[in-house]
Amino acid sequence: MTLPAKLQEIVDDIASMSREEKLETLIAYAESFPDLPERFKEERSKMEAVPECMTPVFIMAEKDGNGIIFHLDIPPQSPTVRGLASILMNGLNGSSLEEIISVPADFYHPMNLQEAVSQQRINGFIGVLAHMKQVAVRISS
Amino acid sequence: MSYAHPEFLVDTEWVANHLKDANVRIIESDEDSLLYAIGHIEGAVQVDWFSTLQHPLRRDFLTKEQFEEVASTLGITNDTTVVFYGDKSNWFAAYALWLFQYYGHNNVKIMNGGRIKWEQEKRPLVKEVPSYAKTTYSAKEADKSIRAFRDDIFKQLEEKKPLVDVRSPKEYSGELTHMPNYPQEGATRAGHIPTAVSIPWAQAVNEADATFKTPEELRALYEGKNIKADGEIIAYCRIGERSSLTWFVLKYLLGYEKVKNYDGSWTEWGNLVDAPIEK
Repeated sequence: MTLPAKLQEIVDDIASMSREEKLETLIAYAESFPDLPERFKEERSKMEAVPECMTPVFIMAEKDGNGIIFHLDIPPQSPTVRGLASILMNGLNGSSLEEIISVPADFYHPMNLQEAVSQQRINGFIGVLAHMKQVAVRISS
Repeated sequence: MSYAHPEFLVDTEWVANHLKDANVRIIESDEDSLLYAIGHIEGAVQVDWFSTLQHPLRRDFLTKEQFEEVASTLGITNDTTVVFYGDKSNWFAAYALWLFQYYGHNNVKIMNGGRIKWEQEKRPLVKEVPSYAKTTYSAKEADKSIRAFRDDIFKQLEEKKPLVDVRSPKEYSGELTHMPNYPQEGATRAGHIPTAVSIPWAQAVNEADATFKTPEELRALYEGKNIKADGEIIAYCRIGERSSLTWFVLKYLLGYEKVKNYDGSWTEWGNLVDAPIEK
């Protein structure tokens, strides 16, 4: 499988880490999670929050030449989800639609994230990837 | 009217005044376990339902010996007052408290409002992780009177005793086994246990600051659905965390004596062969 270069780099990097380093990396990603740009905030306010225990994840994307740039909004009360989503945002931003939709759902296996976060989180992470692909397709058609 | 056992609840001010109290251990227990690293109450230690409280192999939580080891590492003695707080209206704080009760640590409290209220009041959070000297801790035999297993549910059905489903309305009605795009902890069948009444857990807390509703409001909520003080009640949700909050409310805030939490919950029942389901 070929991943976008930046995503591959992140995967390789995290794969080589100890459990503690993985957690620290996720925290660093969560803490550097960017605010949603102002221009998306109106659209954001129209979205329904996902009820109950699920963290509301809001995904926007825009074209930048041949590439796609994602903007995500996730509450700071959910640092794990922020950290994981940040991996995707950092790894995929600027990639083409073809590159994005070719990322296999099991690309995360080498990172061995399950030693640091619960399977429930990893499933959520895969859900975010699937959702990002849908948004990328929608803005490209 | 006051809560039946107000000693199981403290407010944020009480916690702020007991940060240096050697007889008190404050424990953060979150749904999102990275929150502790980002900032926690000074002196608080962390338990994580996934990496600290679960059995590493089986679908179960810690054994008595493993629990003793955790308590000892957190610097808790058999006499320590343990105060729990957490995110999401204290779900996982209630879960941790339930587990401590299960192994006989009765001197436990919840900080009313949890992280949400503490942050709203702009009280300080720190990053320093404290370390406490290891203690010798001896747990009691598991208190099965607060935990239901699947066989207890079949018995409950046979004896026509009350079940409370605390999940969201759509999980109860069977429209969802999980939320769209979030195939977490799925079950192969959707719906609820026959005869269970639906009282979503969140109705027991105030949305604004995550504190518990008043005794009058709580009584009206549960009695209105025929969940009464003299009943032998079992609460369940999806994995047993939201229902530990309901268990806490019924047992300590309303004073119901016979309440169990079914931690197998829907992820067990909805996958169990030959178990009756209603939609």
